[in-house]
Amino acid sequence: MPKRKFFIFDCSKAENCCDKSQYNEAGTREKISMLMHLILCRPCRKYTSKNTKLTSLIKKSKLKTCSEEEKKAWKNRIEKEMTKKKH
Amino acid sequence: MPIHKLDPTKWVDKYSDYLFNYAIVRVNDREVANDLISETFLAGLNSKDNFEGRATERTWLISILKRKIIDHYRKTNSQKGQAEVRINYSDSENNGDWLEEQVADTFDRTAEDEMENTELGLAILECLEQINEKHAAIFKMKTIDGADTEAVCKEFNISPSNLWVIIHRARTALAECLEKNWF
Repeated sequence: MPKRKFFIFDCSKAENCCDKSQYNEAGTREKISMLMHLILCRPCRKYTSKNTKLTSLIKKSKLKTCSEEEKKAWKNRIEKEMTKKKH
Repeated sequence: MPIHKLDPTKWVDKYSDYLFNYAIVRVNDREVANDLISETFLAGLNSKDNFEGRATERTWLISILKRKIIDHYRKTNSQKGQAEVRINYSDSENNGDWLEEQVADTFDRTAEDEMENTELGLAILECLEQINEKHAAIFKMKTIDGADTEAVCKEFNISPSNLWVIIHRARTALAECLEKNWF
């Protein structure tokens, strides 16, 4: 995307702020600057809408991850079994 | 067609989340899902030599897990008594009402939605398999587990600005992949 600068914010800053706000980690001042940028920048508006959609899809999917302990236990079992097979 | 190879040492890092999400929605119990995945890995190791390389590693492991889930339900069903069906409409006035009660209710729709959401989850994980393994792990920790920026940075020994670059790349790749495969 060509970099365009509207109100102190260029596109990469706007994208970064958009990413952060998906995790509720963008500051208010940052968000206002981003919104000003979005008014004038179409590619960034497109990016923001895609990004927000992605967040809602991830939320909807209710994905879960395995804990590190669970993974460790599986790894140990596989390793054990593999060494058993070698002997 | 490329011939796929098995690498059991990477199974846990690469596929455990996928297998887990596949299993949990079908058995609805974290412990049972864990046991089934553990059994799947062991069965995979034992039948490693039968793998012909025509399917991907993940598809092959899922086919084993499917069988394990069926076995699990067979086992639990054989422990149960036989199902009883009682129809308590003896008078002629109410006769036939029970049929209406059998008609699918709104819960059905929820179950379908739930299934679709799981498929979406699996599609997301499939897409994440295509990006750098470390980046995928960072993205999962931040997005799915909802970990703090600080915690993720500490765990992976990266700076916050580094983290946001990785997150940005992962999100862009994921959105592109989902657009291709999901919509």
